[in-house]
Amino acid sequence: MSALRKALDWGKLAPLRLRAKTVADGVYAGGHRSRRRGAGIEFGGQRSYVPGDDLRFIDRHALLRHGTLLVRQFETETDRTLCLLVDASLSMSYRSEDAPGAKYAYAALIAAALCKIAVGAGDRVSLDWFGGERTVELSTAGGREAFERVVGALETAQPSADLKSDLPALERAVARVERRAGRGSTVVVLSDLLDLPEGAEVALGSLGSRGKTLTVARILDPAEVNFPFTGPLHLRALEGEARVETDAAAARPQYLAALEAQAQRWSERLLSRGGSLVLLSSADDPVKAVRKVLDSVGGLT
Amino acid sequence: MSFLVAAALGVGLFVAIPIAAHLLRRGRARERDFPPTALVPAARSVARERATLEDRLLLALRALLIACLAVIGATPFVQCSRLSLNRSAGASVAFALVVDDSHSMRAQAAEGGVRFQRALRAARELLSSAREGDAIAIVLAGKPARLALAATTDLNAARRALDDLHESDRSTDLDGAVSLARTSIASVPHHDKRVVLLSDLAGAALSEGQPPLWTPVPELATPLENCAIFGAEQRGRRILAHVACTSPAAAAGRAISLLGDKSGTPVPLAARGGIQELGLDLDPKLDHPELQLNGGDALKSDDHCPLAAESAALGVLVAADVSNASAKTGGPPVLEQAVGALETSSALHPIALLPDDANEYRNNALLLLDDPGGITPEARSALTSFVERGGVAVAFLGPRVEQTPLGATLEPFVHGAVHWEAKEIGDVNTASLAWLGPEASSLLDLKLRGRASLSTTDLLGGRVLAAFSDGQPFLTKRELGRGALYAVALPTSVEHGNFPLRPAFLALLDYFLDEARTRRGAAQSVAGSEWTFSLGSNVSIDGPSGVLAVHERARASGGAQKAATPTLAGRYELRIDDKPEERVVTVDPTEITTLPQKPPESAARARADANAGSVDASPELGFVALALLALELGLRVFRRVTRERGPAARAALRT
Repeated sequence: MSALRKALDWGKLAPLRLRAKTVADGVYAGGHRSRRRGAGIEFGGQRSYVPGDDLRFIDRHALLRHGTLLVRQFETETDRTLCLLVDASLSMSYRSEDAPGAKYAYAALIAAALCKIAVGAGDRVSLDWFGGERTVELSTAGGREAFERVVGALETAQPSADLKSDLPALERAVARVERRAGRGSTVVVLSDLLDLPEGAEVALGSLGSRGKTLTVARILDPAEVNFPFTGPLHLRALEGEARVETDAAAARPQYLAALEAQAQRWSERLLSRGGSLVLLSSADDPVKAVRKVLDSVGGLT
Repeated sequence: MSFLVAAALGVGLFVAIPIAAHLLRRGRARERDFPPTALVPAARSVARERATLEDRLLLALRALLIACLAVIGATPFVQCSRLSLNRSAGASVAFALVVDDSHSMRAQAAEGGVRFQRALRAARELLSSAREGDAIAIVLAGKPARLALAATTDLNAARRALDDLHESDRSTDLDGAVSLARTSIASVPHHDKRVVLLSDLAGAALSEGQPPLWTPVPELATPLENCAIFGAEQRGRRILAHVACTSPAAAAGRAISLLGDKSGTPVPLAARGGIQELGLDLDPKLDHPELQLNGGDALKSDDHCPLAAESAALGVLVAADVSNASAKTGGPPVLEQAVGALETSSALHPIALLPDDANEYRNNALLLLDDPGGITPEARSALTSFVERGGVAVAFLGPRVEQTPLGATLEPFVHGAVHWEAKEIGDVNTASLAWLGPEASSLLDLKLRGRASLSTTDLLGGRVLAAFSDGQPFLTKRELGRGALYAVALPTSVEHGNFPLRPAFLALLDYFLDEARTRRGAAQSVAGSEWTFSLGSNVSIDGPSGVLAVHERARASGGAQKAATPTLAGRYELRIDDKPEERVVTVDPTEITTLPQKPPESAARARADANAGSVDASPELGFVALALLALELGLRVFRRVTRERGPAARAALRT
């Protein structure tokens, strides 16, 4: 047990290595293949010709037989880089009474499981952070050793730092990911998307450009999802100076509406950049959560 | 305070525990971390404020609960000073409350407030400790002693009777009130009987008796320093003021002056206790002049007194022949001596002849005419006018009734010839004179040498009030206007019999004086004295406390009359058959000069037996503690229900 695990509330999500392998085993169903169609060796179907298509791929037999211009498509199997960007800001250390562990612990489990799956498929993995202490950025690497390094880095990091007004820190993390992720890479961001600075949507959305696949997994605590409190409340944000005195019953509908609106806004922004948003709760089954992420990435066959 | 009491009361210090817990709980303030706080709307809601109120209510309930427990713990030793009845073996009690409503009870009590109100409060406290089955009678000790409530077990009636009691300036009739109280509960079947005396004990000496007296509020009898003006009469351009003081200290440094007369010099009181008379100059410009005493004392209401009209004393005209109606030992006629002995404050005016002018009757209320030898027409007219205006005339008929000169008659007393029977006459029928009281029996065995025979006369609508044993009229009465005419068939001269030497003669004169006083109405009287008016008269009275009620009541000698009793000192405006009249009511000087007496031995013993009138309040406190506990439980359940049901339930509860 590392010293960090004493500080972070891992709860039922520890030990990370074993839990990640278990989750990955539940999810893993063999190698994944690229869905990219174009130049390749295995026929992937036909589609109508549009001006600009390469004339070499026009299906002559179909043209002669039916008089219709069709273009032959091929699938290509390729290695893809998985770039993990994990939010280790202070808000990720939150754990309510009903949650199995802190949000960071859940994010780390999902990240490690994704790493295990990617490494098992022969893909390469990189790891970057925004926020946090004792964080170790891992450059793109593959193989069993890469998984061990990723798990070690996830266990070592400690949620910290107030990013509420620190947009440059987020932009630096995004720049690092962009440098590592080439065309066709998959970028998975694991964050609660709370207490992020103004412009965070633009910065993270930029990761979906230039042929990269972007999936943002929003991890919330069950208390954040359901707002189960009663009676008068005095709430304090972990980042920033926000403090609110309210009545739980009166505030609940407005809070849930605001949370949904925020998720909708993120989803629209990411979608406009080719990305997608996955909503997760730290109380969800990690296996299903990983499947949702993989489904969103589109890499599981 | 014993150690146990201090220890029990020390439990009350534990009140600090819920207060400290409340403060500590408030210190945590329910603050909790919540990352998406920025998405939570601020709402210092009604629920929050209600929760604060509920918290404070709970705190108050707990603190009260602890305080109650502490007092209950100390209750066997700590007792409140509320008066209550001490029962022997829980049996029902019959008690008569003697409430003194005399003038002296209007003084300030030692602990503040008016003594009469303190007495009423004590009476209510005793009444509140009465239980079903207890009999209560209420007697008032202002003169005359009155029964405000006959012995009853209806506690509500007793409460209502107490509510109807008011202060007055009456004299004190303490002994009469105690006797009345003892009589009022004598017939009730209760074994335990008590007479509760709520008085300053400034009155005649109290007699021992059964049931014994209990004076539960001894502080009412604290001596006080007081001076009072109990009368002020106009004598020409001078004023004669009567002042009474309790002690030399009360009179020292005080002076009397005319209210509103800035030019007049105050007349200082002699530094001595008792009664003193002082003379002042009257300022004729003053309307409704009033005298006042400077300085202050225990009773301010008697420090001023309105000025009564000239000759406020009861004026009595006596027409008696000195040569015939005097005693052999000399001196004035017997009639004058008798009146002087009965009414020291009356103004006695001997006259030789009946006035021919009605104005000469002015300021007089009674005419006593001994052995008239006829009344001339002029004198008859003046006499009729005098009587019609409320005067009382009495004729003691003697041998001269047969010597009336030509033109003179005995009208308006009787009509027709009256004969003098010069022979031995038997007794007066005392049964017919029973209304006079026990003195009537003294008219037995009279030795009379003659009498006036009224049997053949016309009484002019009058009636026979008393008769001789042979049925001949002894005393007749005729109502005329507001006044009355009496004819007695015997003269006052001792030469014609021993009638004037019998107590009944004095009693009869006293009756005539009372009649004169009540019919004519003395311009100045003592509070509590009754004013009577003829039944047919139209009377309205305005006094210091507003309109004074006039009621009808039966007369002792038969028939009915109107009556009113002024109980407060001051000036009264009367309208009798549309004729205005002014009367002044004063306080009795004995109310000032009589000092509180020591209660009888039996009263002291009764007070010691009554456990100082204290009451154990632990059962009530126990109920209060239980109620507080139930209230806290209820409040907790209410809070839980409202929190679990949420806003919808709260809204439903509000509606």
